[in-house]
Amino acid sequence: MSKMGCNEFLNQLDAWMEGERTADARAHLHECAHCRGLVADMDAIRQTAGVWAAEEADPPAHVWVSLRARLEQEGLIRDEVHVDEPSRTERPRGWFAGIFGAVPRPALAGAYLLALVTVSVALTGPSTKQLNESRWIRGTQDSTGTLSAQLQNAERDSVSAMAESDPVVTASLHDNLAIVDNYIALCEKSVREEPENEIARDYLYDAYEQKADLLAQMTERGVNGR
Amino acid sequence: MRPTHRIEGCVPTGSVARTRRIETGEVPEAESIRRAQQGDAAAFERLYVLHSRRVYSLCLRMVGNTAEAEDLTQEAFLQLFRKIATFRGESAFSTWLHRLAVNVVLMKLRKKSGKETSLEQVTEPDEESGTPRRDFGAPDLVLSGSIDRVNLQRAVEQLPPGYKSVFVLHDVQGYEHNEIAEMMGCSIGNSKSQLHKARMRLRDLLQEELRSKAREDRRAAGSASGSEG
Repeated sequence: MSKMGCNEFLNQLDAWMEGERTADARAHLHECAHCRGLVADMDAIRQTAGVWAAEEADPPAHVWVSLRARLEQEGLIRDEVHVDEPSRTERPRGWFAGIFGAVPRPALAGAYLLALVTVSVALTGPSTKQLNESRWIRGTQDSTGTLSAQLQNAERDSVSAMAESDPVVTASLHDNLAIVDNYIALCEKSVREEPENEIARDYLYDAYEQKADLLAQMTERGVNGR
Repeated sequence: MRPTHRIEGCVPTGSVARTRRIETGEVPEAESIRRAQQGDAAAFERLYVLHSRRVYSLCLRMVGNTAEAEDLTQEAFLQLFRKIATFRGESAFSTWLHRLAVNVVLMKLRKKSGKETSLEQVTEPDEESGTPRRDFGAPDLVLSGSIDRVNLQRAVEQLPPGYKSVFVLHDVQGYEHNEIAEMMGCSIGNSKSQLHKARMRLRDLLQEELRSKAREDRRAAGSASGSEG
């Protein structure tokens, strides 16, 4: 017969759950249905916690978009970073590097992005997205329409702001705008063809953001007369 | 047709939700930290991609609400990036980040409960003695086979913040007590004690839920047989 009582076993419960099982504890458990029930319940809780652990999810894309806008507003992100030892795997600067290389990150870019994010978040909503896919798809369609209209307005402002700028730079910016517009058209086509495809929708938002950033830089250049 | 590439050089904003499609082996974490300390946007994004899933999941489990979890995830990363210049690598970056995230969540939970209390104070008075409550009079209901993730999540939401944090960090997120102690700024013994109390309280809550369900079933069965008669 076990010398251990229920309270003593309870004090050793966590050790038991971690696999430290003394002979006395084993003997007590053999005799005590109450403590066997307790151990079974603890196992059930732990197993269910394991199931819960397997259910991980990525945060929605807008979390990073908002975060990035905040980082830009606070000046934590800098466009021109002089890394001591550039890595061989560094992301190539790409097609507008030559034009914007010397331009400090425009404050207006953050403002534009923030405005766009606000519109998109307000119209789609993260909870809605997760709770009701079809409603989110409709929301996406509505909000992309709004974003598109906002961008058209922003484009008009940016182009007029560039009126006094260097014609060569202006021409280059218009070329780049055309590239982004083509990208947007491609993404919009993808979303129309596969409205339920979340990746396609993400790319479309991404394309809009790229255009917003470009327009912001155009406006900044125009305002600064560069 | 789906676009399969990004326009190089454009702002990578918004691409992070597609975490799994980003090749995470590209730049070592230490290099990303170093670059982020210099304000490199791509490095910030990469650190976010590497850790956001785990931080968001932690926040979601702690608050049980997607909108709040998103806010908390953003707040945790914002605090991290504000302080990243001070990171010297004494502790693992992920531990540092998770400590920040846990503190952000705890602060939120404390504000919600209207208390500005320390971790040690967020337990309940009847369990401060360290001896878990036992109710030998109540009939035991077997939880095994009767509970699922939804039951557990509901019960976890009812735990005091301190219990909840330790339970989620240990039994769900898989941290060891020494890591939890470091994250939460408490002793290892305190972490173990909180976990023990959390599990016992969860058992009580889950059993109570089963009893309520059994009572409802009996009532429904009674009213069904009454209407037949």
